Amino acid sequence: MIRNYLLIAIRNFWKHKVFSLINMAGLAIGISAALVIYLLVSYEFSFDTFHRDRGQIYRVVSKLDFPDQVIRNGGVCAPLPDAVKKEVSGIEMSAAFHQYNSDVRVVPGASDASADKRVFKNQEDIIFADGDYFKLFQYEWLAGSPASSLTEPFNVVISESRAKLYFAGKDMADVPGNTITYNDSITATVTGVVKDIENNTDLSFKEFISLKTITATGLKNNMGWEEWGSVNSSSLLFIKLNKGTAAAQIEKQLSSLRTKYAKDDYMKTVNLLQPISDLHFAGEYDSFARREAHKPTLYGLLAVAAFLLLLGCINFINLTTAQAAMRAKEIGIRKTLGSSKFHLVSQFLGETFILTLLATMLSTLITPGVLKIFSDFIPKELHFNMLGQPHIILFIIILIVTVTVLSGFYPALVLSGFKPVQVMKNQSPSSPGKTRRALLRRSLTVSQFVVAQFFIIATILVSKQIQYALNKDMGFRKDAIVNFNAPWNAPDKGKRLVLLNKIQAMPEVAMVSLGGSTPAAFGYSSTTMKYTDGKKETETTVGVKYADENYFKLYNMKLVAGRFPRQNDTAVTEYAINETYAKFLGFKTPADAVGKILDKGEKKVPISGVLKDFNDKSIHSAIKPLVYSNVTGNHATFHILLKPDNGSNSWKNAIAKMEKDWKDIYPDFDFNYSFFDKTIERFYESERNISRLLVWATGLAIFISCLGMLGLVIYTTTQRTKEIGVRKVLGASVAQIVSLLSKDFMQLVILAFIIAAPLAWWALNKWLEDFAYRTSVSWWVFAGGGLIMLMIALFTLSIQTVRSAIANPVKSLRTE
Amino acid sequence: MLELKGIYKWVNTGNNRIFLLKDVDLSVKPGEFISIMGPSGSGKSTLLNVIGMLDTFDQGEYNFLHESVHQLKVKQRSALYKQYIGFVFQAYHLIDELTVYENIETPLIYQNIKTSERKALVADVLDRFQIVGKKDLFPTQLSGGQQQLVGIARALIAKPKLLLADEPTGNLNSKQGEEIMSLFRELNREGMTIIQVTHSEKNAAYGSRIINLLDGMVAQ
Repeated sequence: MIRNYLLIAIRNFWKHKVFSLINMAGLAIGISAALVIYLLVSYEFSFDTFHRDRGQIYRVVSKLDFPDQVIRNGGVCAPLPDAVKKEVSGIEMSAAFHQYNSDVRVVPGASDASADKRVFKNQEDIIFADGDYFKLFQYEWLAGSPASSLTEPFNVVISESRAKLYFAGKDMADVPGNTITYNDSITATVTGVVKDIENNTDLSFKEFISLKTITATGLKNNMGWEEWGSVNSSSLLFIKLNKGTAAAQIEKQLSSLRTKYAKDDYMKTVNLLQPISDLHFAGEYDSFARREAHKPTLYGLLAVAAFLLLLGCINFINLTTAQAAMRAKEIGIRKTLGSSKFHLVSQFLGETFILTLLATMLSTLITPGVLKIFSDFIPKELHFNMLGQPHIILFIIILIVTVTVLSGFYPALVLSGFKPVQVMKNQSPSSPGKTRRALLRRSLTVSQFVVAQFFIIATILVSKQIQYALNKDMGFRKDAIVNFNAPWNAPDKGKRLVLLNKIQAMPEVAMVSLGGSTPAAFGYSSTTMKYTDGKKETETTVGVKYADENYFKLYNMKLVAGRFPRQNDTAVTEYAINETYAKFLGFKTPADAVGKILDKGEKKVPISGVLKDFNDKSIHSAIKPLVYSNVTGNHATFHILLKPDNGSNSWKNAIAKMEKDWKDIYPDFDFNYSFFDKTIERFYESERNISRLLVWATGLAIFISCLGMLGLVIYTTTQRTKEIGVRKVLGASVAQIVSLLSKDFMQLVILAFIIAAPLAWWALNKWLEDFAYRTSVSWWVFAGGGLIMLMIALFTLSIQTVRSAIANPVKSLRTE
Repeated sequence: MLELKGIYKWVNTGNNRIFLLKDVDLSVKPGEFISIMGPSGSGKSTLLNVIGMLDTFDQGEYNFLHESVHQLKVKQRSALYKQYIGFVFQAYHLIDELTVYENIETPLIYQNIKTSERKALVADVLDRFQIVGKKDLFPTQLSGGQQQLVGIARALIAKPKLLLADEPTGNLNSKQGEEIMSLFRELNREGMTIIQVTHSEKNAAYGSRIINLLDGMVAQ
């Protein structure tokens, strides 16, 4: 029986090649999209899922309540871990560790002095930890043990990969006993080697220096070792609760710990527990400055996959039911030969299954290519390796079954419902059922085009917003500015000035400045400030930036009152504030603020001038109160304005010269520069990713929908061959026939637009709410989107309608 | 073998009731060869479809091999005709996508007969109708007479007790028609009960009894 069905299926595919191809292409696109997105989503959700008792493991995080701002921090204050260990009940174990700052200079020194001293710059994934860390997180030990390896100061345990890097050619057992020097200050002896974790994890640390090293060196001063009042995002605490202990219970104990120890805490800090499963989606809490996943984006992607899959299924249903009449005879005969409805349903489901299977095979071939196209927003570690990941095979099986049932069941019911007598009498299937199915086909087509139309409008608006964001006047100069930072751990200011002077002397350079961060930057530093106008005291969080005298001129920033602050190398003596702050403080005109005194706790600082408002962050956020301090001593960002590029590579030459000067002064550090306008573009990286994704989703949605429509129009024109012939004989022109055939479909496309437009309007307004400054949702976005859809649909239709309209009527009538 | 008593079948169009079959009584004994005749629209095919259980009726009794067909459910009816009745059509109604062999095999598949047994049965029939050489051809590659031969072979493969034929020679030339009719006579002599619908007096003469229908009624 199966063989019989299979034969029929294959011969039918062959007989209706075009329809089968359209069906298969539609399904294959949907399946590929589902597959890729499944790979991505399952990858992101696979992080840190392998830990023993992972349900009981939490990270302790801090939420800091400033007067008008909440800051979330993934770390804790340094003394908390000890207090937790001693005083909190309900915890099975806890492990505190501290991240060594990034870009560590590592010099491994082999004990036998045979190898020459190599230097590894910018090493990362180095933490200070003790045996507790290895009790909470299981590692395989190749040398040493968790109990003994990190008990003394200046011990270090390294991963196998680092051991191979630092002590190439040595047996793992011989690695302990060698020394490693960190940042020229800590020399530690290797006491153990662990295997690298192969599963996906955010805890991918590779070197573990004993925790006691911190207290034995000056590092403890940097880390605020005994301060309850400061939170450092690199001081981390993981705890494992006893079975059955609720997280809320621990949070309560943590809060009483704070009341006990952190008495004069001016910011209200709350310690919360974050399940380890949320670590990869930490959001505002950050997970060790690693790449994080964004759950809403993942859900959005899932929705896109579902839509594309649905479109493919709809195509299938549409085309199969449209073609049903062609198979009516076969069904009638089979019924008189004794086939039951069940037999027929399973036969047609079988056919759908085979087609889906073929489509799936096609999409597994496409998938690696799709991964390549989207490589920008797909993590590098993600691979399409079915044999290595059996869950992918399981997913594919589920996908095939779902798609088969979804797209095959309804057509199978329709087909198997034909009455044999009617078929035998050479009648086509009864007409009421036919119109009902036509209605269903129309609604399915409309819903396909609703999806496509929605995507088109969204694509236009998102790119409009991105254009708006990039071209908006942020209130300062963006072009022809190069920025780089002097190495933060080379604090000698003299060297910086030497470099600055050298650069200033270059003919290609118009102006230089040495100060804090650029006017708009990723980072943000803030403090609280008070102002008393005699009666009322106004306290608020204020962003702080630092500038020398050239800075304002270089960035072409405008004053609305007073003057720019005069630079001071050692202490802050003047502030320039922004308009927003002046308004916030209640001054009627900016000029009123000039000369007034701001209270910054230990210091009172006069306002020298008021700056015209500018965007100091991406346009997601509104402009907030901000001051520019005139102290430049510790700040090390170079701002360099280049003269216009005269076409002879003058910028390139200037940068090459800067790099050379840099190497003369900082031979140990790499020269990393960026153009300021490119930095601003990076503010909108996620929007640009959304935009690219939308372009693809739109393209595919249009493609699938048009394939479906093409199939339907081929079917209708075949049905109406005789009518077209008669009309032509009666004198209809080609244009009249084309419009006759296209009219019905155009109505569907227009209906789809009417449904999609308000949906898109609502969703896009929702999306724009995320921006403090947004482009208008103009009427032409919708009109343009609708027009594009209409043109594409007309073009698709014309492929078939024109051909049947110009066909010779004598031929079509003769065959009747 | 079968007995129809007071069979009525009608359709309602607005307030009018049009009778397709009106008070039809018919009893058929095993081994009979009956020809149903009558002008177009007299209800011949409808009667044949009712006998073949492909179509329902609105009133009356129908007993087939001691089963009361009018009391059976759709599934049971289908099981009944599947086992005992073979159909031959004017337009042959072969499945275009299947070869001659596969077309003949299909009824056996629906009766859950094992592959090996199916092979033997199909081979027998192919042999008997001398179409072994054509078994891998598709219906469109055959002449009309050959197609009808395959249609009859398919109708007989499951060894039915009753063969229903709706104008089996209607699409054939006279020579092919004669061959088919003599085949029917031969089958009837071997004991097969046959009911055929026909327009042709000549073909009706092959039968043992003629029923004349007029406006849905049996003409006395």
